[in-house]
Amino acid sequence: MKKSTLLFLATLVAAVVARADGKLVIKGSDTLGAKLVPQLAEAYKAKNPGVSFEIAAEGSTTGIAAIIDGTAQIGMSSRRAKPTEMSAGTAKGVTLKPTIVAFDGIGIIVSAANPLAKLTQRQVEQIFAGDIADWSAVGGTPGKISIYTRNTSSGTYSDFKALAMKNRDYASSSQKMAGNEQIAAEVAKNPSGIGYVGLAYINDPGVKVVAVDGKTPTPATVLDHSYPYARPTFYYTNGEPTGEAAKFLEFTLSDEGQKIVRDVGFVSPPKS
Amino acid sequence: MFNLKFSRIALLGGTMLLASPLVAQDSGALIDLLVKKGIVTDQEAENLRADLSRDFANNTSAGKLDLSSTDVSFKLSGDLRMRYEYNDQVPELATGAAALNNETSRQRFRFRLNGDVLLQKGWSAGFALETAQTSDSANQTFTGAADDYGIFLARAYIGWQPNLNWNFVLGKQKNPMYATDMRWDPDISPQGASEIYKYFTGAKDTFEIRAMQHIMQDNNEQVAGPLGRDTWLFEQQAVYTHWFSPENLSNAIFALGYSAYNQSNIPSTATVTPTNSPINSAAYVGSVRAQDYLTFAGEVNWANVRGEGTGFKVYWDSSYNTTGATRAYRVYGLNPALFSKGSTAWLAGIGYSYGTGKVQGDYSAKLDYRSVGVTATDPNTNDSDWALSKLNEKGWKLALSYNVNDFTNFNVTYFDTQILQKGMTFSLGNLDKSQELLVDLVVKF
Repeated sequence: MKKSTLLFLATLVAAVVARADGKLVIKGSDTLGAKLVPQLAEAYKAKNPGVSFEIAAEGSTTGIAAIIDGTAQIGMSSRRAKPTEMSAGTAKGVTLKPTIVAFDGIGIIVSAANPLAKLTQRQVEQIFAGDIADWSAVGGTPGKISIYTRNTSSGTYSDFKALAMKNRDYASSSQKMAGNEQIAAEVAKNPSGIGYVGLAYINDPGVKVVAVDGKTPTPATVLDHSYPYARPTFYYTNGEPTGEAAKFLEFTLSDEGQKIVRDVGFVSPPKS
Repeated sequence: MFNLKFSRIALLGGTMLLASPLVAQDSGALIDLLVKKGIVTDQEAENLRADLSRDFANNTSAGKLDLSSTDVSFKLSGDLRMRYEYNDQVPELATGAAALNNETSRQRFRFRLNGDVLLQKGWSAGFALETAQTSDSANQTFTGAADDYGIFLARAYIGWQPNLNWNFVLGKQKNPMYATDMRWDPDISPQGASEIYKYFTGAKDTFEIRAMQHIMQDNNEQVAGPLGRDTWLFEQQAVYTHWFSPENLSNAIFALGYSAYNQSNIPSTATVTPTNSPINSAAYVGSVRAQDYLTFAGEVNWANVRGEGTGFKVYWDSSYNTTGATRAYRVYGLNPALFSKGSTAWLAGIGYSYGTGKVQGDYSAKLDYRSVGVTATDPNTNDSDWALSKLNEKGWKLALSYNVNDFTNFNVTYFDTQILQKGMTFSLGNLDKSQELLVDLVVKF
């Protein structure tokens, strides 16, 4: 038998062993990975004691990249894969397959001390793009607006640009935060602050959600797409998932999994 | 809920989307509509989006590009020209001019690649790469032993157009001035800054103020006197455009301008010899003053004169150097007694065309006559082809162009010139006569 054949078989066996130990590697979106997926993992482990999880929530970009590189079985993403990512996957023999696991609404939050209650879509775009820099321009208490956004590896960062800003750039003065919780915390202590967070974080202490064109993010407005900043969130896999990844995906979409989805603050996708 | 009618609509919509990867990026709104109407589920929509995106990514070059989100558009364009060039020049030997190799024929090519990025908020940036380093020609002669050739940066600019009225550009840029090749070789990309203010009066009239500060020569400030000062060319124009009718594209353009250099310390001797050769590919160092040009150029275009797509034009250019006599004496060392016609240059031409030069079968013909005094235009910027860039010449230029297809032109250009005023000893003005023939095949992309 040739050396190369032996090497291939050894690699195959090692791979099978790695999967057989029941470890599930999940990487990607902070929106999904900060609260929802860890809770799903805990519930899943309770029913499947032999399974362990490695969860890294460092942004959707890292999740999709991990599927392309083969370093994770599930990539969490709060945005769709870009054509260049699709192309990169194809080049490596990877077919990026999205599965909707929950819906989210990106809520616009301000400090609870801020009297502002509503904005228009145009005003949201102008504030985050830097065209409007003072609260008085949108009917608020005069003062410089402090903008908090996610960092550039975040799916929410690019989703918000697409959904709310016509893909314009954020104001150069905007401050980039690592996660939803950080944004909520900063806005809570800054009466001049404004930011955006996923549905799961709109009730964080010290912040309040602002209506956009008269709509606030609720399960109903997210599902019927009437809230302008609603979006699906995904598990990305390499083609149809197999093994533990398939089982975990199935669990996520089950009634038990979707109850956790709702409890955390997301919206369950409608049943087909 | 699916029903037969909706299923067929969804199938038709999906088939249409999948039929062309180019529309994949525009399909989001339609998929959203299908979801909102309940024709497809959210998950089915995501599967369709992923298929379209994958198709777009794998089957189009655009899908593999990852441009910055600040780019509104990124345009790549260029051309490749193959040229046969023949010229015959006869120097005025009586003046002591050196005998030339009278006949020259060359096979040359020119490659240009332009990248123009339109950014948000009215900003833009761009570059151009081309063969050959001289500012007034990107031609590269096919030389010996299957040589390879260099590529040079011919443009690099940043632009800002805050509104329809103002436009600012910094860097090495397309020439913003209105002029014929009598004053500005079309191959030259000025470097420095330019500003344009446009004022619209109704739909038929536009009034523009154009200004340019062109860095002609960067000198070493450690050197005392004029040789140590940077040389700038300042040119400004008032350009008026009148459209006779918005429907038929007939118009008239009038451009009145003034240009001058900043250098002022002219050596007082009459025997100054410029350090550099007085041709337009190399700027003067130091004593370049005494170039104060009043210019007037324009054109009148009559559209559809002999049926749809045909056009007839009359065009002109002129230049008068108000300090021409001083320049002739102090810079070129010419005898003032011989200097009488040197300060004025003029050009008059006619043209006839069919189409815009972008469609197979389009053609155009232009014929002009010009007379260029020895100090009447700037030898740093005049056309490098007409009279082989010499001044003190008069003569013809005939240019014919035919579109072989939508992206390929076959061009023939012929120049015939003779000396304007005999007896000038300076090498810039002692060409007795010249002929030049250029035969080009140009592919644009």
